[in-house]
Amino acid sequence: MPISDNDFIQLRDFIYNICGMYFHTTKKYFLESRLARRMEVTGTKSHPEYYQLLRSPRGAEELKYLMDEITTNETYFFRNVPQLTALETKLLPEIVETKNKMGFRKLRIWSAGSSSGEEAYTMSMMLLEKRSTLLKDWIIEIVGTDINETVISQAKEGIYNAYSVRNIPDVYKRKYIKEENGKFLLSPEVKKFVTFNKLNLYEDSKMIFMKSFDFIFCANVLIYFDTASKSKVVQHFYNNLQPYGYFFVGQSESLHGVNDKFKTVHFPGGFTYKK
Amino acid sequence: MTQKVNIMDKHAMIKRAEDLVGTIEDLPTIPVVATQVLLLLDKPEVRIEEVADLMLTDQVMTARVMKMVNSPVFKPSHEITSLRLALVYLGLKHIREVALTTSLIDAFGSDTGNFDISAFWEHSFGVGMVSKIIAGKIGYNDIEKAYIGGIIHDLGVVFLSQYQREEFQAILDSIKDKPIKLVDAEIERMGTTHCEIGLCMARKWNFPEAYCELISYHHAPTEATIDPVLCAIVNLSDLFCSVRGLNYGGMEWVSFNLVEEEAWQILRKAAPNLANLDVERFCYELDDAIPDVKALVSSIFNSYEQAVD
Repeated sequence: MPISDNDFIQLRDFIYNICGMYFHTTKKYFLESRLARRMEVTGTKSHPEYYQLLRSPRGAEELKYLMDEITTNETYFFRNVPQLTALETKLLPEIVETKNKMGFRKLRIWSAGSSSGEEAYTMSMMLLEKRSTLLKDWIIEIVGTDINETVISQAKEGIYNAYSVRNIPDVYKRKYIKEENGKFLLSPEVKKFVTFNKLNLYEDSKMIFMKSFDFIFCANVLIYFDTASKSKVVQHFYNNLQPYGYFFVGQSESLHGVNDKFKTVHFPGGFTYKK
Repeated sequence: MTQKVNIMDKHAMIKRAEDLVGTIEDLPTIPVVATQVLLLLDKPEVRIEEVADLMLTDQVMTARVMKMVNSPVFKPSHEITSLRLALVYLGLKHIREVALTTSLIDAFGSDTGNFDISAFWEHSFGVGMVSKIIAGKIGYNDIEKAYIGGIIHDLGVVFLSQYQREEFQAILDSIKDKPIKLVDAEIERMGTTHCEIGLCMARKWNFPEAYCELISYHHAPTEATIDPVLCAIVNLSDLFCSVRGLNYGGMEWVSFNLVEEEAWQILRKAAPNLANLDVERFCYELDDAIPDVKALVSSIFNSYEQAVD
């Protein structure tokens, strides 16, 4: 069922206000097709009716299902290119310079909600490329955490399908990926910087031990939290960063109204939050 | 002391720009009809009909005014179908500015320099549109002025792209994909920037002082004296467009920390409510508006071709 402009704007604003994820107009048809699946399951006959369902007492649960449809729960290597370019061009050299001045040559990166590990390993590959230049003699620690033990095992294994690796630039693919029987295996050097652990972001007693990160990534995770939980978790991330650190969320996500301490730093095709 | 040195540098940079602009014999001029429209508008008690009659003698200008007024950027509630109604909608005060803008497209429309000229106009109209939005948000007293200011702020860039092609290309190559500001590279290689060059052109074309200042200080709004708020509006719009896909196809790799920007501080002071701006959503909505800007530029150029045919 085609979604009218008015219904689209109404749903987009609702999703943005509750989840902090913006639907660009170019993704209208995508939203339309995902809505169709949920409307079939819930037996709602029109977009306004589905919107009413989201606003009803059952809405919170339904919204989670809708967000599952929207985010598809799949991830892949080199997913957010503008973010990676900004890291390489400016943010990483800037942090390296700051830490060089302090004589503190250790880089700590956290992929929060790391799923099957693509984001953490992407960072590992990118940093490996700088081992002989910018990051010569640096200690690199990349930590991936997730609440789901199944995906943590997958991440530790480091074996991927063609979909996951499709965006990896050839220069990285040649060096760090080996193809065997239609599966793609990561080289041990990529894996050696990265550790994966189970962590519930709600668990304050564990969150306070995640210390001194230079970069924290948390894409498509906070959209599932209500505002109060989001504020609490984001405050943890803020505390867990070095004073000059950066916090990244996913494409089209927003922390507006969640935390007013972070400052937005803009770059071509995106922005990040600076402590 | 620093301020004094800056002022002295600025004088030297303007002198250098004057020399560069002065060497060009075939610098574009504003079309005759536009000049006549501007003169007519200076007369007291001028009537809209008179202006419309004069403008109608230039089909290209007429077509462009119609396209601009009806574009999603101006957003009239109904389509405006006659030039007279378009002029009434704009009001006498703003006809001057539209005439000026459409003429600039003539002056620089056909030639291509270091980049696709439509990429230049997409950036310019994009900055115009965002300036208009920001002006509205902060309650600036002349929204149309902010719009026009956005459109003309980078005049100097077209000059460099067309008349200093090799030098400018070398500058662009030196900053490609690097976090280096265009103005810094320009100073290093040329001793002046597109801001001072634009200023010289604006003076040659007798632009009002506020626009001259805007062109000159759109990267340094705190140094403006006539209308720092206007300069800040355009500066900020320029920054936002440069990071959201209206950036001459990536000519300059721009990055900024919003709260540290001079322009943001000037605007926050002028309108404290700006602190509540949902910056993230503002960026995403800007992405959504890019097709409108591209359509506007494309329609203006198509109307040019149709009129010429």
